[in-house]
Amino acid sequence: MSTEVLHVESSRELPLVTIMIGFRAGSVLDPPGKEGLTRLTARMLRRGTAHRNAEQIENDVDAMGADLGEYVGPSATTISVDVIRRSFDRAVDLLCEILGEPSFDEQELGKLVRETIGSLIEARNSDRGLCVRAFRRTMYAGHPFGRRAAGFMHTLPTIVRADVVAQASRVLTRDNMIIAFAGDIDDATALKAAERIRGVLPTSGGAERVVPEPFAPEGRHLVFVDKPDRTQTQVLIGCLGTAPTDEDHVALSVAATVFGGTFSSRLMKEVRSKRGWSYGVAASLPVDVCRESFTVWSHPGVDDAAACIALELKLLERWWHDGVTPRELAFTKRFLTRSHAFEIDTPAKRAQLAFSVSLYGWPQDYYTGYLERVASTTIEAANQAIRSRIDLERMVVAVAGTHATVGEAVRASIPGLRESKVVPHDEE
Amino acid sequence: MRKEPERRRRGRSELETRTENRLGAAWQGALPCGASLLVQQYLLENGLRVLLVEDHAAPVVAYHTWFRVGSRHEQPGKTGLAHLLEHMMFNEFEGVKAGEFDRRMEQAGAETNAATSFDWTYYYEQVPSSQLGLVIDLEANRMGRMILREEPFRSELEVVTNERRSSVDDDVDGAVSETLYALAYTAHAYRNPTIGHLADIAGLTREDCEGFWRTYYAPNNATIVVAGSFDEIRVMKRIAERYAYLDRMESPVEDVHPEPPQAGERRETMRKPSSTEKVALGYHAPAFGDVDHAPLQLMCDILFGGRSSRVHRSLVQQREIAVDARGYAGAFAEPGLLEMQLTAREGHGCDELLEALDKEIARVVAEPVTEAELDRAKAREELGLVRGMETCGGKAEQVAFFDVMLGDPCGAMNRLERLRKTTRTDLLRAARRYLRQEARTVVNVLPNGSPKVIS
Repeated sequence: MSTEVLHVESSRELPLVTIMIGFRAGSVLDPPGKEGLTRLTARMLRRGTAHRNAEQIENDVDAMGADLGEYVGPSATTISVDVIRRSFDRAVDLLCEILGEPSFDEQELGKLVRETIGSLIEARNSDRGLCVRAFRRTMYAGHPFGRRAAGFMHTLPTIVRADVVAQASRVLTRDNMIIAFAGDIDDATALKAAERIRGVLPTSGGAERVVPEPFAPEGRHLVFVDKPDRTQTQVLIGCLGTAPTDEDHVALSVAATVFGGTFSSRLMKEVRSKRGWSYGVAASLPVDVCRESFTVWSHPGVDDAAACIALELKLLERWWHDGVTPRELAFTKRFLTRSHAFEIDTPAKRAQLAFSVSLYGWPQDYYTGYLERVASTTIEAANQAIRSRIDLERMVVAVAGTHATVGEAVRASIPGLRESKVVPHDEE
Repeated sequence: MRKEPERRRRGRSELETRTENRLGAAWQGALPCGASLLVQQYLLENGLRVLLVEDHAAPVVAYHTWFRVGSRHEQPGKTGLAHLLEHMMFNEFEGVKAGEFDRRMEQAGAETNAATSFDWTYYYEQVPSSQLGLVIDLEANRMGRMILREEPFRSELEVVTNERRSSVDDDVDGAVSETLYALAYTAHAYRNPTIGHLADIAGLTREDCEGFWRTYYAPNNATIVVAGSFDEIRVMKRIAERYAYLDRMESPVEDVHPEPPQAGERRETMRKPSSTEKVALGYHAPAFGDVDHAPLQLMCDILFGGRSSRVHRSLVQQREIAVDARGYAGAFAEPGLLEMQLTAREGHGCDELLEALDKEIARVVAEPVTEAELDRAKAREELGLVRGMETCGGKAEQVAFFDVMLGDPCGAMNRLERLRKTTRTDLLRAARRYLRQEARTVVNVLPNGSPKVIS
């Protein structure tokens, strides 16, 4: 098996093995009107096989001392197992069975659809979750990243068994698969297990992962998620970020860390330390196969929300115009270089990095060359990355709060708004 | 975890160094913690307890400082003080200006944070091994040389108020939990939330904070745990040297009010802007160190642990009346609560959830669980423990938690042994002793605007 698709990190420290099975296909493959299909397909794997029903699978997972999880993102699907070493062979047996002989039982599918709808309703209790959804819906309007991997209330009931069977044959294929093992396992055992798992999957028919390049909406947009009785707001301000293949990807990452990636960052100093406006405040720059977002998150109280947004916009403008200082850059480079030790301090973390590079198709040296790229980031490169990637005129501000209390003040705090809309918290 | 061969050869001279007290601290022996971990115990003259766990799997170290003080030690009207002090400890101390602690730690590549509970407060750093000296110096300094100024204190009060809003006032589950404890406890300090009541937080003063710090942040009230890749002798010498300036202090007698037995079920209904109805229950449960705690934890696992658990299977999968069902036996120093939380699906409500849950509780009280269920629960607990030991931070936390709670740094392993030996009879006894309706508290949550009224 190619070393590009099999990664092994051996360690006898603990009697624990982690197995990660990834497929280069995610929720972007959901057909329009069938949003949630890929996630349902992955979750149906544990709902019955030719030999075991859902209840037996759950009992067996627990009896092994194992934890079976599935995750579906926009561009990838991952099935993972942590298992006590003595049960490793049984865990591989189970993985072969759920991947090779899933029953996709009609009745279980109905149950899972209803369970998922229940979870979507419950998710409305998370103000932060509502804010994130509003941000992504607006930032990625018309792009698959704007949809929700979990699906929508109106799309989930339309999904039938034939859809799931078809989606499994597009996503869960041999040519799409990446596999990694970490922990108390040697190379030979890992290879044998990988071959067994690979052997149960269809050899071809896998869908090609095509993720269109996202484009940000013109101008500045405010989307306010209106929810009653809020004493504070959840705020996300952001724009498009960077792709791992961008030449200035690491330079932007370093500059974003200066802005809001540490306790002593500009954001933290100004918003929390000096003014006490928000307990949590941070900038983030997630990665995927194409340009993801750059966001600034905070949760000020209603009395401070408008002022906090205005301050964050000013800080962003100053960051864009003036860039980072040599002192800030040197500090952040030291932080990123030294703290990198915690990205690779366990076998599972090391395996996860190599696994992600293969799964997402990132440059081969994305992690192995990371420290070198951080070290070689110059002040010019960092500041140029901010100016070329961060577009302050194509921004989305998402706020979850009580509109009657704070909506007008928030709107007034954002100069140059092209569009402002208020949506009910139970819209999705 | 791994002892290097050359270090083993040096064992005898290390032993001499330790026992002759050349390190400035009394060596109190080594405890085996699992198959390959050793916990070296030291005690400084001022009472500071230091536990060192060498593990050379990666060039990193976790440094934990735990104080045996939490929100249960606060005085009436001063709730939130222990947690506010935790925030202030990151501000200023002698030789280190406001903000400099974080800056110097981050420059060293460290991740730092802290947490406060009813029973303890802890601070931690995770840092590359080469930077451990800096951590020791800064931590030793801030333990006894904090400087509290009015302006940052006021600013931090705002931060804590904001934290409370997000975790309690605007969070349904947080608000329910606060109400549950306030109702379940009538006398004991566990009735007050660790984050504090809003009115109390607003009234806290700089002097309150300083007084609490001077009273409880004494070396003889703390345990330091260092886990990871380092040299035991060198690190112990440095710790002994840097913390020697601190004086032992007399710990105040705790104004403890044992909770009287609950003689009848208590209920409350809240209206919140929730998208679903919810039920939270609290059964009075034993302290973490009690012989019944392990069986009760396994019982909780059988009822709520994952998709194969009884309550999940019944309420979520078969009857389809709940979105989620959770339960756990809290790890408290004094008798605590066994908490349960159920979230209804649309069209279903609190009464229906409670009725279904009561059937499952009645079953575990009436008849023993099966051997297979007990084995599954034990396997889950074992997995949880092993996963918790993957990082040096996880190891340090386990060792420190068990030392502070039970005086047993290797308590995690002993706990696992206890769980392994637990029988179905133990679970039946624990269920019958603690899952009593008259000793429980129930909080129902109805969405705002819901016409339904619950008596």
